[in-house]
Amino acid sequence: MNLQGDVLVIGAGLAGLTAAWQVAARGGRVRLIAKGWGALYWHAGCIDVLGYYPPLGEAAVSSPAEAVAALIQERPDHPYARVGVAGLDEALRALQALCAQQGYPLHGSLERNWLLPTAVGALRPTCLAPETMIAGDASQPLPTLIVGMKQLLDFYPTLIADNLSRQGIPAEGVALDLPSLRECNFINAALLAKRLEQPQFRAEVVAALRPYRGRAERIGFPAVLGMEQAVAVKAALEKELGRPVFEIPGLPPSVPGMRLHGILTRVIGEKGGRVYDGMQVVRAEEARGRVTAVYSEAAARTRPHRFNRYLLATGGILGGGTATDSTGRVREVIFDLPLAAPNDRGEWFKRDFLDAAGHPIYQAGVRVDGSWRPVNGDGQPVYENVYAAGAMLAHCEVIRERSLEGVALATGYRVAQMLAG
Amino acid sequence: MRQVECEVLVIGGGATGVGVVRDAAMRGFRSVLVEKRDLSHGTTGRYHGLLHSGGRYVVKDPEAAVECIEENRVLRQIMPHCLEDTGGFFVSTPWDDPDYGDAFLEGCRRTGVPCEEIPVRQMLKEEPLLNPDIRRCFRVPDASADSFLAGESNAASARQYGAAILNYHEVRQLLRRDNRVVGAVCYDLVGDEEVTITADMVVNASGAWAGRIAAMVGIMVNVVPGKGTMVAINHRVINTVVNRCKMPADGDIIVPIHTVAVIGTTDERVADPEHFAIEPWEVELMLSEGEKLVPGLRQMRMLRAWAGVRPLYQETAAADTRDVTRAYTLLDHAARDGVEGFITITGGKWTTYRQMAQVTMDKVCSQLGTERPCRTHQEPLPNPFAAEPQGEGDYHLLGARLARTEQAQSFGNLICECEMATPADVERSIVQNEAKTIDDVRRDVRLGMGPCQGGFCTLRVAGMLHALRRPSVTETNVALRDFLQERWKGLLPILWGSQLKQERLDELIYLSVLNVDRLPGEKSSKLGPSMYEEIGD
Repeated sequence: MNLQGDVLVIGAGLAGLTAAWQVAARGGRVRLIAKGWGALYWHAGCIDVLGYYPPLGEAAVSSPAEAVAALIQERPDHPYARVGVAGLDEALRALQALCAQQGYPLHGSLERNWLLPTAVGALRPTCLAPETMIAGDASQPLPTLIVGMKQLLDFYPTLIADNLSRQGIPAEGVALDLPSLRECNFINAALLAKRLEQPQFRAEVVAALRPYRGRAERIGFPAVLGMEQAVAVKAALEKELGRPVFEIPGLPPSVPGMRLHGILTRVIGEKGGRVYDGMQVVRAEEARGRVTAVYSEAAARTRPHRFNRYLLATGGILGGGTATDSTGRVREVIFDLPLAAPNDRGEWFKRDFLDAAGHPIYQAGVRVDGSWRPVNGDGQPVYENVYAAGAMLAHCEVIRERSLEGVALATGYRVAQMLAG
Repeated sequence: MRQVECEVLVIGGGATGVGVVRDAAMRGFRSVLVEKRDLSHGTTGRYHGLLHSGGRYVVKDPEAAVECIEENRVLRQIMPHCLEDTGGFFVSTPWDDPDYGDAFLEGCRRTGVPCEEIPVRQMLKEEPLLNPDIRRCFRVPDASADSFLAGESNAASARQYGAAILNYHEVRQLLRRDNRVVGAVCYDLVGDEEVTITADMVVNASGAWAGRIAAMVGIMVNVVPGKGTMVAINHRVINTVVNRCKMPADGDIIVPIHTVAVIGTTDERVADPEHFAIEPWEVELMLSEGEKLVPGLRQMRMLRAWAGVRPLYQETAAADTRDVTRAYTLLDHAARDGVEGFITITGGKWTTYRQMAQVTMDKVCSQLGTERPCRTHQEPLPNPFAAEPQGEGDYHLLGARLARTEQAQSFGNLICECEMATPADVERSIVQNEAKTIDDVRRDVRLGMGPCQGGFCTLRVAGMLHALRRPSVTETNVALRDFLQERWKGLLPILWGSQLKQERLDELIYLSVLNVDRLPGEKSSKLGPSMYEEIGD
């Protein structure tokens, strides 16, 4: 299939999906192609905007609005500085409106970060969280019961509970041994999510939990409370258990990430756009400073896609948009765009895996002009019609900052506004 | 402070040490082994995993070649479950001296190393990724060996004969009465207490650390640590051990071991067995030499690099009395230094560990004035996986874990997908083997060593460890962080391409999703890894 149209988005992570949705929503003719299903399958399914900002202290950021404003002051190259707090807020509100309309509300605002338990029992600052997670917020030290399932090997309730207790939230953990799961020889999060949509399986869970409810005032589950009907599953469990219920995201693949992916993919389709997976872009064709086509790999040959404009949202090193090799070369894989990156492999890493500032190689990315076009060393756009958003952008460390989804959403949104405007 | 009494105290939990303690226990001595970290934590756990046929030494060191082939035959009898019967090739590439092939054949004939020249066409049929420009190929009975499992099996056998194996017990001081060593004071890193062990004989089997132990009683033993760096490739690029047919040199061997292949090695003298770097040139050399054997190897995904230190013994005193072959060194300190009750065994290779243990215990017997024959070559080692699928001849079967999973139809029931380790494997390590760290579990179970380098199993093992033991949660937290750092240590030298992408996913999991850097407790512990030195230090 050879695609044609106005805007081609490359990459199905949050940046690419947001951009395609916004272009389509504003009446643009847009297609999105990606190698696979995109990075949301890895994410916790929340929108992290800014979780830590060391110049304001070691503790988790309490008000993202304030911390982002401070960061913008300090770091004019950061993607947030190009978007601005107001632009970020607009993107967050647009996503919230979309998710609410799709029956999966994301709660929160730039005024305050949630502190939500993780699958080891740490407390994670995040700006927007789905309705299925917010009852876990740590600002209230309510007695908590953490429930796992013996057959789900990605979730260890006693570890989570003991860490929560250690941090002042009295908690206990229990791993249920459910008869109907004993027969399964394959259990994963997505499978459990489907099961929990069935009333009889929920009844089994509720019955098994009866002896453990005790004095718990809320009950935490792995993030498997339904795929398409998460809010209803959560409400049903709450009714049956008589307690607030919340989800705790863990190892990929992430059910909450899949839900966001599903919502965005659906809305793109509804607005006349379309998302294609299994289409890895392998090369581009150019003429007189413009990209005229990109080629994707298909069975036995490559196919050209001719669009007016191309948005590069292929992610950084994790997404596969940036490749590295043993000689120390760091390369943008489609257009071979110039990258801001440490020159020498000796400068790529710090000694500690968990180094607070992060490993310099992961900040490799493209620099862009005022119109989000990747630029060369002289600050001139490399191509008139190529734009970039998300983790491909230089000057941010989205994992250390806990700004992964915030940067993707805000930049994808802003670029789309411009492309559609 | 604890007190322990025994007849034979063995210092060092590498292949030699566990071999000695097993031999001692089988001869009826009340025996204790102390190791400052986990068994096989040192050089034994950091080699490429070759069971020598002896082929490597037939020209350079025929005596060592004879020892190797003798022991090769013995180990195939007593520990087939630790060996994969891969066979080995010696291949003459266009970069190798074409005359060496004939010298090699002649050397094999003289030392008794079975060797057969096969047509290159046949070689390529068996190993299609090998360089088609290879000119000659010789088949020898090399094999690959699981040194972790061998260590565990020797220790298990020693325990059956009544020995005590004390890991995480560091020797702080040797006890000396007049001209006799009578034991050692150890520090138990886990129990955080001193342990005094008295013994009739103390065997120093601490490998590259032998000089440091001997120095505690003022004896000079000059062991120079010879660093060897290795790189694991994320594929079984070959299923046969492949050696270059030339005088032994850097980067001239690829060993298929479990699900990966390991290319090795360098040989660099370093000052200190615990502080050395993996230099970029070493990794580069592995890639460029490996490329000569398997074209395209450089583009493949590298999983990890590591380095171990061979103990290279150097004689210093002219009038030394020692029983020594080229391959290993037995120092009788009564004759050599006038200190009774103390013997050092060092040098050697993994392949000859049992023979080293035998001559050591023969010496111990003669010093204690008793005659008790060695039986370690007659009795097979216990096989913890005896109930599971075995290969022909009871050798380790590469597909054993897959076969096990298929039999049970339990495809989702895995803690480590890369290496197909199950919850039962991990539980055995934690409960039965009393693993102290997640890295101990790794050695017991073989997990965390595949493409994701602990990305998924670290959380799971930490969760199981916590659920089974219920330690203070900060202990679990630091165990988890220690293991992440331990994996990072070996990734740094080879981190580019797909493996770098993988590490970014592991960061996303442990930082963005799990926030492990903000868990309560210490960031690292004394049981955590010691990093390689920084380049240029």
